[in-house]
Amino acid sequence: MRGLLPFLASRLLRAAIALWLVSTVVFVVMRLSGDPVPLLLPPYAPQSEFARVRAELGLDRPLPVQYAVFLGHVMHGDFGQSIHFRQPAIRVVADYLPATFELGLAAFTLALVVALPVGIVSAVKRNSLVDQATMGLALVGQSAPTFFIGILLILIVSLKLGLLPTSGREGWQSLVLPALTLGAFAMASIARLTRSAVLEVLRADYIRTARAKGVTEALVVVKHTLKNAAVPIVTITGLQFGTLLGGAVVTETVFAWPGIGRLAIQSIYNRDYPIVQCTVFVSAVLFIVINFCIDLIYGLLDPRVRSS
Amino acid sequence: MREMTRRDVLKITAAGAAAALPGLPATVRAQTTQKRELVVAQGGDIASLDPHLSTSSNDIRISFNIFDNLTSRRPDGKLAPGLATEWKLQGQTAWVFKLRSGVKWHNGDPFTSADVKFSIDRSLDTSLKGNRVTTVLPMVERVETPDPATAVIHTKKPDPLLPARLGFYGGQMVPKKYVESVGPDVFNQKPVGTGPVRFVSWTKDDKIVLEASPDYWGGRVDFDRLIVRALPEMAPRVAALLKGEVDLITQVPPDQGERIKGNAGTAVNGALYGGLYVLAVNSKQPPLGNPLVKQALSLAIDRDAIIKELWRGRGVAPNSMIAKGDNHFDASLPPLAFNPNEAKARLKKAGYKGEEIVIETTAGYMAGDKPMSEAIQAMWRDVGVNAKVEVFEYSVRAQKNRDKTFKGLWWSDPTSTLRDPDGMMWRLLGPGAPQDYWRHAEFDELGNAARFSVDEKFRGDAYRKMTQIFLEHLPWIPVIQPYEDYGLQKYVEWTPDPLQQLEIRRFNFKFRRA
Repeated sequence: MRGLLPFLASRLLRAAIALWLVSTVVFVVMRLSGDPVPLLLPPYAPQSEFARVRAELGLDRPLPVQYAVFLGHVMHGDFGQSIHFRQPAIRVVADYLPATFELGLAAFTLALVVALPVGIVSAVKRNSLVDQATMGLALVGQSAPTFFIGILLILIVSLKLGLLPTSGREGWQSLVLPALTLGAFAMASIARLTRSAVLEVLRADYIRTARAKGVTEALVVVKHTLKNAAVPIVTITGLQFGTLLGGAVVTETVFAWPGIGRLAIQSIYNRDYPIVQCTVFVSAVLFIVINFCIDLIYGLLDPRVRSS
Repeated sequence: MREMTRRDVLKITAAGAAAALPGLPATVRAQTTQKRELVVAQGGDIASLDPHLSTSSNDIRISFNIFDNLTSRRPDGKLAPGLATEWKLQGQTAWVFKLRSGVKWHNGDPFTSADVKFSIDRSLDTSLKGNRVTTVLPMVERVETPDPATAVIHTKKPDPLLPARLGFYGGQMVPKKYVESVGPDVFNQKPVGTGPVRFVSWTKDDKIVLEASPDYWGGRVDFDRLIVRALPEMAPRVAALLKGEVDLITQVPPDQGERIKGNAGTAVNGALYGGLYVLAVNSKQPPLGNPLVKQALSLAIDRDAIIKELWRGRGVAPNSMIAKGDNHFDASLPPLAFNPNEAKARLKKAGYKGEEIVIETTAGYMAGDKPMSEAIQAMWRDVGVNAKVEVFEYSVRAQKNRDKTFKGLWWSDPTSTLRDPDGMMWRLLGPGAPQDYWRHAEFDELGNAARFSVDEKFRGDAYRKMTQIFLEHLPWIPVIQPYEDYGLQKYVEWTPDPLQQLEIRRFNFKFRRA
């Protein structure tokens, strides 16, 4: 594994810069977007109250000072006190993370378990009825808005058939519909990409050679095709995983799932700067870690990546 | 004794059959229950449990049940005894409250007048981090505790509404000993009150769990556990009710009511909102300074059409700036009139030259705000007003509210927190108040005199005169007093509250048992 250390170091440096940029942008954008104090006080509160609360939250200080304080604290993992919850922001976000992981992992697993076989079968049985039906469905999954899929599932599966709970987070049953809703887009994307990646490899010369040598079709697909088709599949899968963890806002809202997506959106409405900064930071960390892992997996799958 | 009707026979037969045949459809059995757990779903999670840290409706639905007030505002609008059994005014500025004996906090400590003093002082304490109720009891000068069962509250000026103020947010009683020993943070996470339910757990953005306080002075509630879930989206909230996962849901819009009523096991129950939906007016912005223009705008609004078409009949047309159900509401006044020809005549008389008149609205901060704006824009255009609707985000509205920079008209849903004109119209339209865009010397004089008078007849006369001035100048154009609707299972016997509280005490909540 020659060159692994410089490779790791450059990746880590890039990750750190990305994190700094993300947190700075969030800091600036949140402060441009408006004042949280009018949202916290009753509508008839006097001006003196506004001044008091602003001072209490440290918002009366100049922006550069606020920024310096913010950066200093972030280094220590301190994102400040939530304006809305009146608890350390990092603790509030930590409370929401398990639900996010649970939903993200379930959606991801579901997407993979369905999408990979479907994509492979579609490629192998190209233009068959199975291929056309599954790819048609995938198109629907990719284009239907999450909100629509969620409400549809609630109405049909929960209300009409009475099979699963409509919302909430209680037991595995309540995880099924949100995971399906959240995973629908990823499932469709991965299935379509798997199909095209596998198709591409199936047309390659070495596959024709393998077939000519009399290798069974099953072995051709499993041994010769999949490993070579894996790089694009891993890429899109990794990206989708990041999105599933950070971008579940709509699903979480429809199913009242207490994850960080919903927390972030609520906090934006509440102008709860510390929570927004913390959720964005945590999401960015997750995304960067996943990307980092994908890079490592590339290295394992394709020695050319390692040496370059 | 009432004679038995055919319907009764059917009911009894159905109930008997349902009991005998568990395989029967749930709809028939749904009219009664054996549940020991009440599950409520509201539109958002709570922010804090410490009652001094919040005034939001999601929070007070919980905090008014963990805590008690000295006085209790009932769903029928009347003020009833709470932790105080009686109160009377001594002289002009001293209110004497006799406290209920034998009341205990959820941790077993006795409730005394020291807690009353501590609670009121704390509500006024600007050094308490996050205190959001410092303006609720501004007239209080000091609290005396001559003995453990008596609290005397002295006000700086006569305050006829002190008992009413103590019955709403900011007036919840908190335990002195516990708060002092554990500090504000722990108190906010593990609150201790005297109310009918005590705190068990809170999972953020998911649910809060409470349990019945067995020795509650008002009688043990009709369930063992209360679970309040946060279901932000309307469609899933309704679905959860229809499927029977929850017993009661808040904030049901008129168009969803039909669906809930169409289902055999569920019903809709509403309370006339204790407040009004009004278009507040920036009278400093020409041509809105001209009373004739404002009168024309009001006359051009077909309130009956709005109520019928947009609210499916779930509302009433206001007749003034005082909400129906409040003190000094004048039932003899007719609802605000719709007369497009008269509107045109007054615009002409005012010399209106087609200046742009802007309605600023959010899309959903208030139920129906955007559709109502669009309907009113069309009605105004029909009489020749150059009306425009601008949509903005809720936080922008909050900012403009604070800076007083609305362009023309904007929606406001003033809540009548004291069920009295002083607690609604005067706190918003009075001099220096948040919606102070118009002044009138006589109006101001009457409003101030009524605030500080303990003579209800004098106050009544003052508000009558103020109503006349109001109807001429229209600093607000009242549009509707809507119903606040709730969806519930038919086995729930419960009366909704006009001020958005969730009153689940024994006198107001019961499961219908088989």
